[in-house]
Formats: sequence, C-alpha cells, structure tokens
Amino acid sequence: MSRYVLRRVVESAVTLILATIVVFAGIRALPGDPARTLAGEESDPATLAAIRATYGLDEPLPVQYLRYVQKAATGDLGRSPRTGLPVAESIGHALPVTLQLAVFAIAIAVLMGIGTGVVAAVRRRRPAEWGANAIALLGLSVPNFWFGQMAILALAIAYPLLPASGFVSVFEDPVESFRHLLMPATVLGTGLAAIIMRQTRSAMLDALTADYVRTARAKGLSSAQVVLGHALRNSLIVVITVVGLQLGALISGAVVTEQLFVLPGFGKLTIDAVFTRDYPMIQGVVLVTATAYIVINLVVDLLYSVIDPRIRVGGPAL
Amino acid sequence: MPNTSLTIRCATMGLLLTACTPIGPGETNPSTTVDNRPAREGGTLRVALSAEPDRLDPTVARTLVGRTVFNAICEKLYDVDSKLTIVPQLASALPEFSADGLTITIKLRAGVKFADGTPMDATAVKTSLDRHRTLPGSARTSELTSVDSVQVVDSATIAIKMKTPFAPLTAVLADRAGMVMSPAALTAQGENFGTSPVCVGPFKFGSRIAQDRIEVVKDPQYYDASKVHLAGVTYKIIADANTRFNNLRSGDVDVLDGVAATDVDALKSTSGLSLIASDSLGYQGITINLGNVDGVGKAPKPLSAPYASPLATDKRVRQAFELSLNREAINQVVFRGQFTPACGPISAASPFSSDAAQACPKHDPNAAKALLAQAGLSLPVKVSVVIGNTPDARRLGEAIQAQAKEGGFELELQPVEFAASLTQTDAGRYQTFQIGWSGRVDPDGNIANFVRTNGSQNISGYSNLAVDALLDEARRTPDTAKRRDLYGQVITKLHDDVPLIYLYRQKNLTGASSKVVGVQVYGDGLLRFATAGFAA
Repeated sequence: MSRYVLRRVVESAVTLILATIVVFAGIRALPGDPARTLAGEESDPATLAAIRATYGLDEPLPVQYLRYVQKAATGDLGRSPRTGLPVAESIGHALPVTLQLAVFAIAIAVLMGIGTGVVAAVRRRRPAEWGANAIALLGLSVPNFWFGQMAILALAIAYPLLPASGFVSVFEDPVESFRHLLMPATVLGTGLAAIIMRQTRSAMLDALTADYVRTARAKGLSSAQVVLGHALRNSLIVVITVVGLQLGALISGAVVTEQLFVLPGFGKLTIDAVFTRDYPMIQGVVLVTATAYIVINLVVDLLYSVIDPRIRVGGPAL
Repeated sequence: MPNTSLTIRCATMGLLLTACTPIGPGETNPSTTVDNRPAREGGTLRVALSAEPDRLDPTVARTLVGRTVFNAICEKLYDVDSKLTIVPQLASALPEFSADGLTITIKLRAGVKFADGTPMDATAVKTSLDRHRTLPGSARTSELTSVDSVQVVDSATIAIKMKTPFAPLTAVLADRAGMVMSPAALTAQGENFGTSPVCVGPFKFGSRIAQDRIEVVKDPQYYDASKVHLAGVTYKIIADANTRFNNLRSGDVDVLDGVAATDVDALKSTSGLSLIASDSLGYQGITINLGNVDGVGKAPKPLSAPYASPLATDKRVRQAFELSLNREAINQVVFRGQFTPACGPISAASPFSSDAAQACPKHDPNAAKALLAQAGLSLPVKVSVVIGNTPDARRLGEAIQAQAKEGGFELELQPVEFAASLTQTDAGRYQTFQIGWSGRVDPDGNIANFVRTNGSQNISGYSNLAVDALLDEARRTPDTAKRRDLYGQVITKLHDDVPLIYLYRQKNLTGASSKVVGVQVYGDGLLRFATAGFAA
C-alpha cells in the first residue's frame, strides 16, 4: 500500500512540475511584452530595460523558471508587478468568492433541475413536461452574458430589487450575501439546471417503470411517496454524478458571470492578469488550480485503492 | 487676424492642402462640474473606474486611472485649474526661475501634514524628488532628466538646480513627479510603499483588493479638511463599459468614469443621472511607419517588405491618405458625434492652442487621388493598418477603411490585442497603427517624444531636424506666448510631413447620479472629489 501511495505522490509531483513548465512557457509564448504593458504610455527603451531588470525579465527563461519554482516551493508566489500586491493575498481574496458563487449556483441548479425533471417525468406528454422541456432548452441555449444583462436590466434597473454588482461574503452578512449572489448564481446555474433536468427526467422515467416502483405502488404507497421516496432517490445517483462532472465547467463558466456582475473572483482575476500580462499572477492562479486538481485526483485515487485493493496492486480495475 | 498667418502657413504646406479650416475654440469645453448645490457631511461615494490602477506609488505609477485615485490621496506641488492653467497646490506660489533658467525656487505651503501626522516640509519634498529621479524602475526618471539636484534652502523652500533650462518642468511637477510622499512611510515600507501610500490629500488610503476596489477615507489631518464633505470614496473596478453603465443606472455606483460614447444618449435621457463632459488633452490618430526598422528610439532606416510602402517614402501619399479621411463623419458614425475632430496634438482647450495648432486639412478624396496620380502610383494603393480588437476599434477601422477607399487606398485591417500591438509596433513591424495618447497639460508631453528624432515614443521613425530645433527652443523658452507660436510652427511642419494623422480628441465623459454634487472633471480627465458630496 505504501509503495502505491509513494508512486502516486511522485506521479502527482511530476504532473505538477510539468504543469508549471507548460504554464510558464505558454504565457511567455503569448505576443505582447509584459514590460511594455507595465510601462503603459510612458514607455521608452531605458524604462523598458529598467522594468525588465527590476522583475528579472531580462534573464534567460530557465533562470526565471527556476527562481519562480524556488520561491513557489516556499509558498512565495511573488507580487504582482502591476499592483504591487502579493499574489497569494489576491488569490486568497478571489477564491472564496468563486467558491461561494459556485456552491450557490449548484444549489439553484439542483433545485431547478430536479424539480422540473421530476415534473417532466411524472407529467409525461402533458403541458407540464413541455413547459419543463422549454425551460431546459432555454437554459442550455441562452448564453450567460445575455441572460445576465437581461436579469440586471429587469431586476436591478427596471425593478430595483437586487444589486447589479458586488460581493458580500456569506460569513459577513448572510442576507446581503444572498441578495448579491442570487442573480449571478441563477445566471450561472441555469445551464447546469437544464442538464440536471434532462438527466433527472431520463432517470426518473426508467425508475418509474421499474419493478420496485410497481411493488411500492402495489403496497398502497401514495403517489408522492413512490415518486419522491423511491424513484427520485434512486435517480439521484445519476444527478450527483452529473453535478460532479459539471463542477469544473461551472467554475470555468464563472469567468463570464464574474465579469458581468463585477464579482472579484478567480475567473476575473485570471482574465485581467492575462490581459495585463501579469506573469506572477497568471502563474500563481494556474499553480493553485493545478495543485487543487492534482491533489483532488490523488485523494480520489487513494480512496479508490482503499475501497478496491485490486487498484493498488496494479491489476485492472474491473 | 488669426487667419492671415494661418493662410500663409497652409499655402506652404503642400500643393493640395489648399483648404485649412481651424477647429474653433468655441467648440471646446474645458471643464465642468455637476453643480453647486450644498452638500451634506458624510457618506461614501462609490465610483466605477474603467481599469485597475497600477501601483499606488507615485514614483512607479503609470496608468491614467491611477492618477484619478492619486488625485484623492496624493497632492502635488502644482495642479491645474478649470482652465488648465497651472496653480500652486502644495507649493505656496508658482516657481521662480533664475534668469538663466538653471535654478528654480519653490516655496511650500506652511503647516501641512501627511496622513501619518508627520510634517510636509522641504526635506520631504527633496526626499520625494530624489526618489522619483533615482529609484530603480522609476517612471518619473525620464520626466526629470533635466534636473541636476534638489537643495533644501529652508524648511519651506527648495531650489531645483537644472542641467539645462526646461520650461515644461512646472507641468511635470503638476503630475506624479510633483507628488510628495511621507519620508517616514517611505522608510517604513520601502519598495512596498504603493500597497499603503501616505501623502497629503483630502483623503487617505484605506484598503485595496486586487481587481475589485480601492477605498480611501477622509483625512482629518488635511490642511483644507473643513471643505471635504465625504467620509470616503470607494473606487470599484468595472472594466466593461456596459456593465459600468448598468451599475450607474441601478444605483450601485454614484459616479462613472468613462461613459461609452454609445451610452451618452441613454444616460442623458435617464432621470436622476447627469453627464459631465470635458475636452481631453489627448488625441487618437494613425501613426505611419516611416523608418522604424530597429525599434523605437533607434535611428530611422529604409523599411523593407512587408512594412515598406509608398506611404513611408513619399509625403504626397501620406497627405493623400489624410485628405481621404473625413474626421467629422468618423465622429458622427463611430462615436455618435460625442467626440471632437482633431487635426493636431494640442487641444483647443489648452492655453498653448493657436490657429496654427488647430489648422486642419479639409476632407477631399478627389484631391487625394490627384496626389496619388502625381506620385505615379496606380490605384488602389494598398496599406495595412494595425488596429485594436475591441468593438470600438473595429468600427473605427472600418470607417477609415471605407473613407480611404474613396481616396484611392485599399486598407487591410489587422486587429491585434492591445498589449501585443504595442510590442509589435514598437519593434517597427507595421505600416500604419491606430493609436492615441491620453494627453498632458504641457504640449511638450504631447509632441516631443512622438516626433523628435529618436524620441522615446517615436515609433514612426520620423526625423526632421527643423522640428527638433523648434521643440528644443520651446523647452528652453519660459514665455507661454512664445512657446505657443513655436508649437504652432511645429504642427505646421507635421501637417506637411504627416508622420501621423491626428483624427479626433476623446471627451472625458463622466456619468453621475443627481444625488452627487461638486464633482469636478477638468481637461486632464481626472475626477476631483475634494469638495464633492451628497446633496443636502
């Protein structure tokens, strides 16, 4: 077991190093000189040379890379040359925003998706199903940026019920946090809600024709007990799998939502860093993301090996 | 009287620059303020900025939005008033120049304290100026190259010793180079001064979250604190113009910096909102690569393919290109008439403006074709233009493309992301480039670096020794009227050589809730909140 763990840890470390190399080389392959971007309007060759010297941009790439890795290994992600703020601090501010948005969006998606999915399955070939299908189709086909704009126009400008922008942490003021996140989370969650609806409907249709449901009905259980207690409960396995698979897509999709609702999240931080060629910031956010993915994968693999011993002894997982 | 000299200059400009029309000062709008209703005490103003400011360290800061934030927290030795005239701020009077222009004496305002309570005196000014001049990575070094040393005369007086006379220095000290920082804070924070800057201002730095907000709060130590009404200002960073506007409409922000030209009509028609508009000091135009082969600042050389073009070698072709463009139509079609057509680098709102500075070749596509025929070129003349990849930049590019076609040109638009376009054109890898400049109070800052031989921002590779001589003379001349005339002569020569085609001047468009009073925006485009507040 310990040999397997060691092997997976080494593999993960190698993956992480490769990820840092790809990111480091990739952002430097982008056209656009970071020194020129930093210099802004007042650029002249002497200024550019001074900026390159200050931030070590005039050194050979391998030297720059090693310096970056050396610092990162000690937890120092550096400072943004643009704002002078520590990268780790900026990421520390941004991550909770995106996580709270994502969790809220998933909650909304699950509520909307399962609700409409159950209705569509139970009320098959009736107006309720057509309505649910229409909602799902809209959720899948309407782009976030348009839906977001419309939501702002309707709920923040025409009927000023919700704020158009900004973020309040749920730990500071739960009510204000709810008001600030309701619109962006709904906008972000509708696409996922549509997918969950389709999956729930499909799984429910299978379940409702299964033998155990017929048995439950034969035992005299009420319709609600059969649908919610038996059919839906078994269908939720599919839903949970879908939510897990869509989580990454949801966080990626948060980039647009964050820009639209001016949420200082991870996506906004990344996009702005790319446009300003803020190398330490881009490297920092990618390093944190890659580390998170690799650690999660590692933990999952190790858990698999605990559950199924065949995995850790190298045999094929059947 | 003005038009006599103008006509003579126009006649010398070239065969077909027959119709020069000045853009009259009557069209200018030097400054505006929301209104003068009384303000109540307290309240935090929420301001939407269009971009993230860079470091809040006056020595290394470079962005325009950063200057707006500095305006609240870091006062300068000098400032401009609503007419863009330089006035004392932390200095007590305008500088005294010695007869040879090599010593400048500046007297300081008495009894001023930094936000940390330490005194703002001559030693602090010397510390700041020396830091601006010598700190590695300073963005102010090039602005202060003519300064030899700074001496403390007494606690309220400094003397600046110059290597050469440099008239624009007063204007330089009315920008970030004139900001005075607390020596105690500089010692304590070193290179991280920008994460918690301490200066003199109506407000002092509170906190900052990257990509989100900067908060400043009223400074009770401020020498004019009794006139400051607001408890604080929160600058929110909202890059997208549409989102910014929506936030103003929804009441989530009180003031909006940088209203899109396309949103002006909607803003004007929305009750509870008002527009503050002022002419900017900057310009937008098309820079033509005449000989930038080895990179900006290097000696010009003949271009080779694919960047060589008849534009680079024959000024008649450049004149034809300029004649084919209809500035007023561009303004109407692309910017809904919100901006000001411009033909030179000096705003009509500037005290340095003159008829010569505002002279403008008239749109004449037939004359353009005649010039191209005279140059022996077969039509259409193919030209590539590097433009930005934003919707506004593309619309502008397409308008220019359509107009140039009538004048005998076939334009190939090359949309490039902004950061990449700067690197590409600095290196000389372009034929023409649509780019602008945010503008400075002194015309030297809007002209010299761009057209002087080997100038630090002369990406055109333009070189005209007569222009260099006029610019040098203007730098040595303290008299405004004489400098006005010298810059007029420079612009006349630029219209003849056409190293760049000035197209339009943006307006500083600021949106504000009608609850807000006393916001001031001058031609420099900076938002001033020292006396702003919420209506009583």
